[in-house]
Amino acid sequence: MINNVFTIKNLNLFYGKYQALHSINLDIERNKVTALIGPSGCGKSTFLRCLNRMNDLIDSCQIDGEVLYHNDNVYNRNFDVISLRTKVGMVFQKPNPFPMTIYDNIAYGPRCQGIKDKTELNKIVEKSLKNSALWEEVKDRLKDSAMSLSGGQQQRLCIARAIAMEPEVILMDEPTSALDPIATMKIEELINDLKQNYAIVIVTHSMQQAARISDNTAFFHLGELVEYDKTDIIFTTPKEVKTEEYITGRFG
Amino acid sequence: MTFRTQFEKELEELKLSLIKMGDLVIKNIHLSLHSFVEMNAELADQIIKDDKLVNQFEYDIEKECMRIILREQPVARDLRLITSVLKMITDLERIGDHASDISKLTIFMEKNNKPFLVKQVHKMADESEKMIKMALESFVNQDQTIALKVIENDDVVDDYFNEVQHIVAEAIRQNNIDADYALYLMMVTKYLERIGDHAVNIAEWVIFSIIGHHRN
Repeated sequence: MINNVFTIKNLNLFYGKYQALHSINLDIERNKVTALIGPSGCGKSTFLRCLNRMNDLIDSCQIDGEVLYHNDNVYNRNFDVISLRTKVGMVFQKPNPFPMTIYDNIAYGPRCQGIKDKTELNKIVEKSLKNSALWEEVKDRLKDSAMSLSGGQQQRLCIARAIAMEPEVILMDEPTSALDPIATMKIEELINDLKQNYAIVIVTHSMQQAARISDNTAFFHLGELVEYDKTDIIFTTPKEVKTEEYITGRFG
Repeated sequence: MTFRTQFEKELEELKLSLIKMGDLVIKNIHLSLHSFVEMNAELADQIIKDDKLVNQFEYDIEKECMRIILREQPVARDLRLITSVLKMITDLERIGDHASDISKLTIFMEKNNKPFLVKQVHKMADESEKMIKMALESFVNQDQTIALKVIENDDVVDDYFNEVQHIVAEAIRQNNIDADYALYLMMVTKYLERIGDHAVNIAEWVIFSIIGHHRN
């Protein structure tokens, strides 16, 4: 229990009358990579967005059940959503750097938090870029526009931007689906390094990627959590027939 | 419904190749024993040559498994099946070697030996062959019950081996058996006993492919 950053209890989610998640119970462990897999429309991205309340932006979305972040339900009325999103960073499918310099992309969050000291900002930028394995490639061009970076570099910049806030959890929604194999490999290596300090939850359509980089895997189907176990078990001896059928490509 | 008809076909072909390899190995064991009992050097020579076909099967199946792993990136039951096939062909190849070993002894043997313990040796060979057949059957049908019977049957082969050992020892003491022939006979029965062990290994891999872990 002590190693869980999130504990999800009986989570149901509705888009209007359509129920997208059914009674999800799941724990997210610290210093582990948790992969969410399943066919399109199975609810994995919806579930991911529940963890930092990104679904709040959808009007018709209703939620019941509990998403406990260190025993506090993030859906409690008085829960501080801004601080939640500082602690639970997010990286999206398509790299989305701000149209500003590389430096300012990283410094943006800390500045919003009131950090003005140049030396401190420099330290944060350098540390974040180093931890996202981008420093060596951009250290001489920090004042260049982030838009001048390649897709893979932009995605690592987005990870650096999330790291700059010193989060505890990083959510990744198909972070490599728009990247070439080399850039994908770099992100996967990075994820492996990042788990020393963070809990990572990743939605991926690549079964091989889930098998390569995650410690735990959750298989979603039609809004239900069919099976959740250690990745080695899911990919060698899944308990549920539905999981086996999906991962072996017999349906999908 | 399946989206992987080509993959399914490849797995079926892989199973079929393993069965063919198994049939060849069983045939070689059967004939090698005849060659020994009948002291038929010509037949023995043929079995030694045929062992190359067994080795070729092992090579081809191994290559096919690697190709499937590369192209299809199998997981779960598919991965277990391919892993098991890769392990089973090693055991089958060893059984093939033992058929060849028995045949080599036949060639070295004096022609004028009086056959001894023919009944027990035949029974032992029958049991070993039966175990290989059952192990392959359990694989084809993915049937754990048959695989478990193979494992249980190993005691029968071991008992025959111990029986032969005692009778031969007594025959040596009584000076009723040619010394070289006694040695050959012990070696043949040891090979048959080892064949039983390999059949057990195959059955254990079948169980692994079904349940995903080894029996305790």
